[in-house]
Amino acid sequence: MKQLSQRLLGPVTLVLLGLTFWLGLWLTPPDKTQGNLARLVYVHPAVAWVALYVSFGTATIASALYLWKRTRSLVMDRVAHCAMEVSVVFILLTLITGSIWGRPTWGVWWAWDARLTSTAILGVFALAYLALRRANDDADLRARRGAVFALLAAINVPIIHFSVQWWRTLHQGATVFTADRTLLIHGLMAWTLLISFVAFTLLFFWLLRARYRLEVLRGARYQVALDEALVQRRREGVR
Amino acid sequence: MPDADSLDLTPVAAPPVPRRGRRRTIAVLVVLVLAMLALLSQGLLHSLNYFETIDQAMSARATLGTTTIRLEGIVKSHTIDRTSSGASFWMTGGKGQEVFVNAHGSPPQLFQANSPVVVVGHFTSSTSDRFDATQILVKHTASYIAAHPKRVKAPNGTTQ
Repeated sequence: MKQLSQRLLGPVTLVLLGLTFWLGLWLTPPDKTQGNLARLVYVHPAVAWVALYVSFGTATIASALYLWKRTRSLVMDRVAHCAMEVSVVFILLTLITGSIWGRPTWGVWWAWDARLTSTAILGVFALAYLALRRANDDADLRARRGAVFALLAAINVPIIHFSVQWWRTLHQGATVFTADRTLLIHGLMAWTLLISFVAFTLLFFWLLRARYRLEVLRGARYQVALDEALVQRRREGVR
Repeated sequence: MPDADSLDLTPVAAPPVPRRGRRRTIAVLVVLVLAMLALLSQGLLHSLNYFETIDQAMSARATLGTTTIRLEGIVKSHTIDRTSSGASFWMTGGKGQEVFVNAHGSPPQLFQANSPVVVVGHFTSSTSDRFDATQILVKHTASYIAAHPKRVKAPNGTTQ
């Protein structure tokens, strides 16, 4: 069953992404105010959802589980590291798609408002996490420092989420996660938005799985190389 | 010839990490910290609130003087006059106060009557209600409504 779900993850992700683009580009109507520009709503919010909550959230939870002695394991450290790498990609995509959307609607590529700036800071945090991991060779110390840093960086996520409520921003308020839980998008547009959220979430897990497998292979290769080096040293000593 | 079993195979300390690599990592970290500080100072500290509303600006107009600010309001319908250098229009605030905006530069694609906008510029004097803008930013809402309402249904099943 587990193997089947793992096998289906890729194809299902591709089908849902295809469905999102088909519905988003051809079947959904243009928006009353934004016209066809509103079609970016089927990409940008879903990408931002994955960047902020799913991938950064996965990295944060895995980091917390690593720091907790009962659940501390190499798996948690690897999951945190891999999720953070994928998070960098999604944060970058969030900023790029937002910028592409901002230029024709707002009139500028970038604005120093609270939402945009705090998201950019999250991107810098994610890069700093990866740099921090490379700064130390001790595996345990590297994992612990990374985990603590990830937990500290996660404080920025609620700041990003509530920035449009706490401060006056150029960025629009929430469409889905509104304070009074009113969905501000209707009909087929709402369904397409929902499918895009599922599609990009599955894309994250697909990428995470691939990246995790790569990390496991890298670890195994390191172990094989170490064993070979020991054997080589033995042989040199015997000669 | 030494015997394999008599060899000393106790683990030895790993060779030190090349200084060049470590320096490069530290340099990257320093650059990232500087980038974060720049983002904080440019973004969050200077513009937690990205704009002033018309009501706020009008109540603090004497102190604002001709300082450059970002001013937010709704474009009043039937007042837009597109000129060769930009556009002029009346903008209203939440409490009905109005400001006449003379903007230079081409307005964004979505600029239209009744849309919320943020204009960057300054009042012409500390008592005037005229605002010289160098930039117009259109602030779109969080609502998405089909351009052809009768073709789509609301979540409760009714047509909008």
